[in-house]
Amino acid sequence: MNRGLNYITSFVGLMLLQLLIFNNIQLSGYVNPYIYVMFILILPLNIPSWILLLLSFMTGFVVDLFSGTFGVHTFATVMAGFARPWVLSLSVALEASDPGSSPSSHIGGRRWFIIYTMTVVLVHHLSLFYVEVFSFTGFFRTLLRVMFSTVVTTFFIFIFDLLRPRK
Amino acid sequence: MRSLLNFLLRFKTLILFLILEAVALVMISSSHNYHQYVTFGAARTVSGFFAERLENGRSYFRLKQVNQQLVTENQILRRQIEEMRLLPQSEFVTVTDTVKGSGYSYLSATVINNSVNKQKNFITLDRGSRHGVTTGMGVASAEGIAGVIVGVSRNYSVAMSLLNTDFRLSASIARNDYFGSLAWDGNNYRFAQLSEIPHHVAVTPGDTIVSSGYSAIFPEGLVIGTLTGDQKKGGDFVTLKVELSADFKKLTNVYIISNLSRDERDTIEAEVVHE
Repeated sequence: MNRGLNYITSFVGLMLLQLLIFNNIQLSGYVNPYIYVMFILILPLNIPSWILLLLSFMTGFVVDLFSGTFGVHTFATVMAGFARPWVLSLSVALEASDPGSSPSSHIGGRRWFIIYTMTVVLVHHLSLFYVEVFSFTGFFRTLLRVMFSTVVTTFFIFIFDLLRPRK
Repeated sequence: MRSLLNFLLRFKTLILFLILEAVALVMISSSHNYHQYVTFGAARTVSGFFAERLENGRSYFRLKQVNQQLVTENQILRRQIEEMRLLPQSEFVTVTDTVKGSGYSYLSATVINNSVNKQKNFITLDRGSRHGVTTGMGVASAEGIAGVIVGVSRNYSVAMSLLNTDFRLSASIARNDYFGSLAWDGNNYRFAQLSEIPHHVAVTPGDTIVSSGYSAIFPEGLVIGTLTGDQKKGGDFVTLKVELSADFKKLTNVYIISNLSRDERDTIEAEVVHE
């Protein structure tokens, strides 16, 4: 139950951070960091995939509620939640770790964590920005937005992960 | 039956994924009709609460800039009062005419939430239904037009920003009264596009673009921006690039504009068009 409480705290904390601070970072219109994705990234390794998908749905829905978008973030988070197990299965670094633990650079190493984060965040941001535009007219411009935002989001998630207590 | 169940169980993750994505897509497509943003009243009350508290804190950093804007606006208004006072006494009797004449009322409001970095940006204001705000009212700052109210709750309202790919406004070139459709292409928050201008119209960079008054949301003559001179040709019409006079990143004090004869105008226009 203590672990569950930890996750709930991180959820609320990330949401608040996102909404109060990160939603207002508007650098040149190309960088939109969405760090709440971290919640999906740090869910336990052995979480059943259907719970993962439902939690991703819930996360996206809450962000949608507060951002006034309806369905855009939900679509992206479910996509990210679906991609996560696949990305995890590709990484060799976690074979030896405790299955109930949360992915972190403390367990799998910094390099692995950055790649894992960047991939899932990329999936999320690709879905998010393209669905937001809902057309292919601004294809390359949106792609640029995806790239820059992915880098910045990954950077911040990596920093937050470093700040997590070492198990 | 059993093999069907087995099949479903094997693909349960994929099936759940598809169901959830379908729900998300339904949500997205249902909100593409912008009138349905109104349904977010409950969420807006909560996020409006936080946004207002946050804005109270942040506004202190902008006091100097806001003061400057108010001084400039005061100067303009004083000049206008002077000009009106110097008009020669007319020989006609003054009639209180409520049909022509201002017909618009202005309510000052503060921006408590704004964005410029999305494709569809919205502005949250600290006035709501208890101040008399209704959907369809225009929003403008002292510098230029900012948006149109699309959702109202008791204490807050949300306006679709001009910086929203769904935004359309009938706008005209002040100098020659040719009107076109103003929209935003989603790229730069400083520039919008005025389309449907016939290409024989002579335009000069620096020409002021104002509201044409045809949409009944804004009085005619409200400044929107100036022409940069860039234009894109397309058939019989050109699309002109407009540098917006309002800086959306610094939007703080705005006016909610209510057209007092709007209902009457909407009714008669609807009757004639649908005949």
